[in-house]
Amino acid sequence: MSRTAITATKPAATVRTSGSRFSVAKPLIYIVLGILLVTQLYPLLWLFLYSFKTNDEILSGSFFSLPSVWQIENYSAAIESGNYWRYLGNSLFVTSITMASVIVLAALAAFAITRFRWKYGQLVLLLFLLGMMIPLQSTLLPLMIIFKNMDILNTHLSLILPYIAFQTPISVFILSGFMKAIPHEIEESAIIDGAGVFRIFRSIILPISVPPIVTVCILTFINIWNEYILAATFISSEKLKTLPFGVNSFVSQYSVNYGAIGAFLVLGALPVIVIYFLLSERITKGMVAGAVKG
Amino acid sequence: MNVLKVSKWTIAAFVLPCVLLYVGLVFVPILVSVYSAMLDWNGIGASTFVRLDNFKYMLTSDTVFWPAVGRTFLLAGFSMLIQLPLALFVSILISRYVRKPNFLVSSYFLPVILSVVVIGQLWKTIYNPGSMGGMINQILETIGLESWTHSWLTEPKIAIFAIIVVGLWQYLGYHILIQFTGVQNIPADIYEAAKIDGADGFKADRYITLPMIIPIFKISVVLSFIGSLQSFDLIMVMTGGGPGNATDVIASHMYKMSILSQKFGYGSAIATFLVAVCLIATVIINFLFNRLDKKYT
Amino acid sequence: MANKTTKTLSVLMAGALAVGLTACGGNNGGNTGTNEGAAGGNGGDKGGEKATITFQNIYPDSSDPKYQMIRTIVANYEKDHPNVKIELDSLNTDQQKLKLKTQAASKEVPDITIVNPAAQMQPFVEADLFAPLNEMVEKNGLKDTFQEGILDYYTFDGNLYALPDGNNIGLVYYNKALFKQAGVEVPTTFEGMVEAAKTLKAAGITPIAIGEKDSWTGSFLFMNVLLRTNGPGFLQDVADGNKTFEDPAFAEAVDAFQSLVQAGAFQEGATSFDYNAGENLFKTGKAAMYYMGSWATGGIETSEVNKDDNIGVFKFPTVNGKGNPDEFMLAPGSAFAVSKHSKHLDVTLDFLNYFMQNYPIEAFKVKGAVGVAQTIEEDFAAAGYSNMAIQVLDLFKDVKGGDISFDNTMNPGTSQVHLTSIQNLFVSKKDAADVAKEHQKAFEENNK
Repeated sequence: MSRTAITATKPAATVRTSGSRFSVAKPLIYIVLGILLVTQLYPLLWLFLYSFKTNDEILSGSFFSLPSVWQIENYSAAIESGNYWRYLGNSLFVTSITMASVIVLAALAAFAITRFRWKYGQLVLLLFLLGMMIPLQSTLLPLMIIFKNMDILNTHLSLILPYIAFQTPISVFILSGFMKAIPHEIEESAIIDGAGVFRIFRSIILPISVPPIVTVCILTFINIWNEYILAATFISSEKLKTLPFGVNSFVSQYSVNYGAIGAFLVLGALPVIVIYFLLSERITKGMVAGAVKG
Repeated sequence: MNVLKVSKWTIAAFVLPCVLLYVGLVFVPILVSVYSAMLDWNGIGASTFVRLDNFKYMLTSDTVFWPAVGRTFLLAGFSMLIQLPLALFVSILISRYVRKPNFLVSSYFLPVILSVVVIGQLWKTIYNPGSMGGMINQILETIGLESWTHSWLTEPKIAIFAIIVVGLWQYLGYHILIQFTGVQNIPADIYEAAKIDGADGFKADRYITLPMIIPIFKISVVLSFIGSLQSFDLIMVMTGGGPGNATDVIASHMYKMSILSQKFGYGSAIATFLVAVCLIATVIINFLFNRLDKKYT
Repeated sequence: MANKTTKTLSVLMAGALAVGLTACGGNNGGNTGTNEGAAGGNGGDKGGEKATITFQNIYPDSSDPKYQMIRTIVANYEKDHPNVKIELDSLNTDQQKLKLKTQAASKEVPDITIVNPAAQMQPFVEADLFAPLNEMVEKNGLKDTFQEGILDYYTFDGNLYALPDGNNIGLVYYNKALFKQAGVEVPTTFEGMVEAAKTLKAAGITPIAIGEKDSWTGSFLFMNVLLRTNGPGFLQDVADGNKTFEDPAFAEAVDAFQSLVQAGAFQEGATSFDYNAGENLFKTGKAAMYYMGSWATGGIETSEVNKDDNIGVFKFPTVNGKGNPDEFMLAPGSAFAVSKHSKHLDVTLDFLNYFMQNYPIEAFKVKGAVGVAQTIEEDFAAAGYSNMAIQVLDLFKDVKGGDISFDNTMNPGTSQVHLTSIQNLFVSKKDAADVAKEHQKAFEENNK
């Protein structure tokens, strides 16, 4: 039974209720889902149109209108004075390191908490749970002082370290919730085969845990891709700045270049959306899948 | 009972890197904040130690504080009572009636990855007065309901609800994504077995889907609570906490106090309060779900 | 399948980690400046010490004329001083404030930064973070380029701590075509302005545009009303204990201000319009008047609405027959300050001197010279400045003193209460006595 829960090879979606009593409701349901689709996709279209407009058109605040002249300049402004390529590179770098580190560190910790025979597992888990809801920004000043003393201000490390630290609690929470449900027989047979702890972790637990790892990836990504307050405070060098700097580089004291912001956001979101849709099957399958207990 | 018996060193190797980083960069800074909360300090110059004065003022004399706390919980309440059940309902519908659900679920998720700047500006065009092209008001005027029109973001009693709607809308897809995968991964044979016993359709949901989805629903609840407590960006973009203080929440009040009013010590007291609420909430949520869990397994 | 994925995943992660560590390590040296200083010593003494200076600024937007100006001046300086590198850390205004405060708290102020005048920069000065500029400003006659009295706003105990990028006044811009359409004349009294607002509104025109989400905009206008009902120096008198907010002049100002709000003078939903959205209503010809600092001139004169000299300006009128229109709301600009603990203090001071010498010259070239804090003896009309800009420059000649904004006079705690209180007047009518009490209470609480 519990084995089924983990491998979950046959999703419920394949089971269809054949009863005719739903046939009346069906069109209604599609309409509801369709309306929802429109409301959730519209912002993307809106942003796209927005990115080709002038400030006047944008600020006149119409809900739907085409730009009178398509302002391609917005995009050249975004790429040149927004330093798109450099910032994109930095963002990808910081985000990927953070995601990789969060996964490794949180998976190791969650594994130890849920699978080792030791007294303090629950205590450590509680320690992590305590920090789960603390907002990153409330620690700005202490972090500044710590990093000043470590002499890592104005390096990517000063972003990566707090990003990892703040993502670990929720990641440990999700991963340990999943790992807790893995049946012990798996390890028992591995031990009989003579596998060590690290091998059990690497070749048995990690592969099974792909679904919650995907979840952790997504959460981490959402939380740090647009993060600006820490970045703006700790990074001063042009060559190290990340994408949110680009968005904010079109805001000056008494004016805002909205069109260029729109263009920058489109360019910033594009790689994400492309990757996301390419992976969407993995993601919807993977997300928290195995956390359902058998 | 866990079967892996390992040495202290192995435990340390697995746990310590994560714990050290977390304690050093999350826990210690929070303790520093708690200490700053006992200072009268503008955040720049000299400071005086005032013990619990900041907390006393916060809890008894600050006229903005409690309403801001109330609004924060309003946000959380709406999210849990409307957004999460709706997300679950939609997830069940999708898993039952849609053949290729990935595109749909992914599309629902899109608003989450768009920047708050865009979301805020889009919704302003929806909420604007009719004369400025605001969509809702124009629709109301067209269908002859002029008396229902409002200046949604600037009437003190309405503004916070206008913002809540945006928050619910933006993160709906987030929770659909989480819960949909949960629903989808409930093993099919359970439903098949239930069907033989005569439980089908929504009846099956009541007895199978709901209990099975609890662990994932918990993740949704935790994330929604975190989001509500830390809601800040959206409010700053849409109203800046105004008019007056009509849309201030704990996080925006904290920002205004420590940065704009330059009362860093006092701002830290509010931050400490926020952390305390987080801890209590974590405990309560875990307690409730543990009981639910036991009831159904 | 799952196995393969994890393998790839773990290889990727290991790789990413390794790259990350090296890259982070590599970045480590660049910021401190000490390494480069040492390297400069070996590299010969041509041009003196090798230095990297961080110049924190609020001009990140390439469509802002100041963006290009600052880069031109920096490039010229670097050409003459090959050993000096100026690193620009350009942030938007809010973010820069937050960053500077965090940096100040950990004594990590950048070599050059930007602060607001008077009360707003006082905490930084008291914390002893800035280097005095008294000697530097005497070099190359820099001091004499500044307008008379402007540097006082940046001087504490006889020490000058910052050099301003601007000096502006509050005035009313108006749309001639819309005035004509509704049949209103330029008002000469505040009561006339309220009447004009009513007439405009009746004609379906938004009388006054404002971006009250940024609550300082309403405060700036309110303070001009107060400047009329009381004359200059009200806040100073309160601070010195000679007056309280319960003074009749304050109540009169609140009532006058409310009469404008109640006349429907401002656009609907004004408190959700930020500065840009508010100004845009005027720039797109949807509102007839706009009260703002003269810094808005550049943006308005190049906008569509100023075609055929359609925009004029007038002085803020008398209120209940009181006050002198030649007294203006004064807005000494944000200013450049130098960190006292800068590793390259001499170079930084030398650069800032050069920067300020060239600032008005470059500003004039890019038509951004209206409201610069330094004297410019050039022919503006010949250089292509619009009639409206020249009219604004003429108003400057009439200035006979005035007041600076609330948050430049009072401490931040009191100011925040004031800003919220005035913003509230836009959405509900209040008793002037209550508004006064609210101010007085905040003042006393914040000045214990």
